[in-house]
Amino acid sequence: MAWQGPRAWLVTVAALAAGSMVGVGGAALRATLTPWQIGDLAPLVGDVPTDAPRAEVPETRYEFGTIGTGAGGSHRFAIRNTGGGPLTLSRGHSSCTCTVSDFEGAEEGSAEATKVVPAGETALVTVTWKGKPPGGPFRQQVTVLTDDPRRPEIALVVEGTVVPTWRAVPESIALANLSASGGQQTSATIYTYGPESPMVKAVTIDHPQAAEFFSLATAPLSAEEIAAETGATGGFRIEVAIRPGLPLGRLRQTISATFAMPEDVTAEVPLEGNVGGDLVLAGPGWDSSRQALVLGTVSGKSGLRTRIFLTAKGPHRDLIRPTVEETVPQSLQVTVGPGSPVGTGGAVRIPLEIVIPPGSRGANHICSEQGPAGRIVLATGHPDSPTLSIPVCVAIGP
Amino acid sequence: MPARSFALPVLVVAGCLIACVAAATMPDRGAGVADGVVETFRERNGAVFGDWPKPKAVLVFTGELDGYIEPCGCTGKENQKGGLSRRQNFLRAFKAAGWEAVPVDLGGQVKRFGKQTEAKFQSIVDGIRGMKYAAVGFGPGDLRLPAEELVAAVAPIGDEPTPYVSANVGLLGLDANITPRFRVVEAGGLKIGLTTVLGDAEAAQIRNDDIEVVPAAKALAPVAAELAKAGCDHQVLLCFAKPEETKALAAAFPQFDIVATAGGADEPPRELPALPGGARLVELGHKGMFAVAVGFFADASEPVRSQRVPLDARWGEASDMIDLLANYQQKLETLGLDGLGLAPIRHPSGRRFAGSAACEECHQEAFDVWRDSPHATALATLEEARPRRDGDPECLSCHVVGWAPQRFEPFEGGFAGMAKTPHLAHQGCENCHGPAAAHTAVERGDVRATEAERDRLRAELVLSLDTPDGKEKAINNCLECHDLDNSPKFDFDEYWPAVEH
Repeated sequence: MAWQGPRAWLVTVAALAAGSMVGVGGAALRATLTPWQIGDLAPLVGDVPTDAPRAEVPETRYEFGTIGTGAGGSHRFAIRNTGGGPLTLSRGHSSCTCTVSDFEGAEEGSAEATKVVPAGETALVTVTWKGKPPGGPFRQQVTVLTDDPRRPEIALVVEGTVVPTWRAVPESIALANLSASGGQQTSATIYTYGPESPMVKAVTIDHPQAAEFFSLATAPLSAEEIAAETGATGGFRIEVAIRPGLPLGRLRQTISATFAMPEDVTAEVPLEGNVGGDLVLAGPGWDSSRQALVLGTVSGKSGLRTRIFLTAKGPHRDLIRPTVEETVPQSLQVTVGPGSPVGTGGAVRIPLEIVIPPGSRGANHICSEQGPAGRIVLATGHPDSPTLSIPVCVAIGP
Repeated sequence: MPARSFALPVLVVAGCLIACVAAATMPDRGAGVADGVVETFRERNGAVFGDWPKPKAVLVFTGELDGYIEPCGCTGKENQKGGLSRRQNFLRAFKAAGWEAVPVDLGGQVKRFGKQTEAKFQSIVDGIRGMKYAAVGFGPGDLRLPAEELVAAVAPIGDEPTPYVSANVGLLGLDANITPRFRVVEAGGLKIGLTTVLGDAEAAQIRNDDIEVVPAAKALAPVAAELAKAGCDHQVLLCFAKPEETKALAAAFPQFDIVATAGGADEPPRELPALPGGARLVELGHKGMFAVAVGFFADASEPVRSQRVPLDARWGEASDMIDLLANYQQKLETLGLDGLGLAPIRHPSGRRFAGSAACEECHQEAFDVWRDSPHATALATLEEARPRRDGDPECLSCHVVGWAPQRFEPFEGGFAGMAKTPHLAHQGCENCHGPAAAHTAVERGDVRATEAERDRLRAELVLSLDTPDGKEKAINNCLECHDLDNSPKFDFDEYWPAVEH
């Protein structure tokens, strides 16, 4: 065959290379021709004609510092044409809460709001912004498109911090597992940012019938605490003491603090939580919605080893010394580890090592009609809940 | 030879195709997304990876999802950014392009509290597992949830390790070892050390006895020592803290060359600022609207590049994440309002609702305007959505009568489902004017009232735009639903003519 030998391979490789170059070149051309394909500072590959425009922007970022919510501002960015031909500017995308004005002296009736800047002249672009609640760091960007081949788009950025009138930290208090018998202390801090120090007038909780379980007090913040919060000029702490005896279930209250600055302002801090018992289970396989330990199907040949945790809360937490009274299936082995304090010390965590040894006999306790739940029964040492029965969903196969 | 004369052009074309395919495999769109959509959003939000050569590996940063499992709002999903579905397709675009991506997340999946938030957190973590994240941190919103729910969502499943990593947060205590303190991954021939930390100021907001949080710097010291010994090419710290605290930690641990922070502006900067120690600072914005990709290259003159990526419609939808959203909605539907713990709260006025149809009896003209507006079919938009959202309190609260929009809770006597309260479906008259049951009862003669009492009930429902105070009250009422998230372009004077009555 004529189409064989080193020459043929050379031709093949050369042809592929040529084709590839055409493809890559095409891709590069597309990238060059589409302004959005090129980053703000991406240089143009190749020569630029001497009569091409050149956009120079001495400042692309403006830091406005801090403003109050509702306040606004504007800044003029200058774009100078230092090239040899006229520079055409048009509006690109801008962030939704920020606006770019038409270019000063823009062509009347131009749908694109374009501006042609003769060589050597400067165009001004005004960017306006407004500080919207709830405040915090602020950054907005507007894009100006140009026909400068070196710089097809210019990003103009304004940034700063919008300061609210007041701010609660945390915004809402969540007490994930509140022991009904234990009660709890918690707090929220109100920082204020006005010229006047806040004068607290009243602190209330929204459900009067729940008031018996709550004590509310306020305390002023120290100068150090205020200084630690950027921009804050004053503030106070709301201290909440929750007494034992809350009904089990979801807790939802709102703490309202009214203070003068000098106009009256009311800060609302939601207080939410789950009021539960003193003993809570957690860990891999624990399904809180089913209140069952779901181990699934386990090979009897290889067995299983896992660990869950019993968390003890409330005034009796240090009395909890679980011992295993019963397991179903019997091959389920449970070892209770030593308790240790967790978090802020309001709870004691006790590990439960759970083992189905290799070689265990088959059993079906998958929590169905055919396979009723197994169980782990613990004697707890808790005076009000001396026994804890944990449902176990497991099937031990061959 | 004829065969030879054909072969040459064929090979040239083949070579061209190889190069074109290589060029087309830039991760700049989701699979199957039409050119027009890509072009629209490229023009609107900028191109991505336009001048990147193929990197050795890419770290993809996300974070501060803040509960926005999907974007939502009256302006149309296509006009908003974010959501797990687009994120999944974005990550898949790397794979399609043959780029090796390592996704990592700062944390902060949720912000609220309660059963819905627990269900949402579980769904988000399921999604994160599906996206094969290499490291995920905890935000303070996550740690408001009960520890047992967090552990159930986060713990390893069989042989699949947890995606979570934290140097200083221990669910049920650090020594419970539910999550590792750091992780080292290999990608594109690079060894990358990853850890996350919760800042001290954020930790101070947590009121959860079952969670141990060690001061960030103290916890990072032993982790940094371990990572230093691991021979990593890059070390990455994801710090859920305000930028000032993150910068201080970066200065104290200069071995981290990429440091991600929480607490910046809504929109991340286009370029990564360099910190005094040389590390690059990654900001992610809020609500999961952006991802930031950091690529590592063999090119010594430019070994690291970054790209801010808006997660807009050009990424399309990922069917597995749509299924996940459907399961989440199904879970909410199954739990119902009672199961979600949504006991009705008292309306500030103390009054009850009558339903929009009751208004028609006397206010025909105003009713006709309402009936012809999108407000009158607000609930239908949730019922017709795929997956449907009419069991989701976070959606319902602005699509029915008698809910507190920003609390996502029903008022007493407010909408409680189509079976019980069909007359309170849609965004009706009383959401602006106030509950009208007493007014309608008096006007119909069902209840006796003095003339003064009747006039008082009428006056309570008047919303006048004729005074600055009245207009401000009306605007604030609109803003309860037409907020920045859901209706970013809302302007009362522009919108009012559409419903003027």
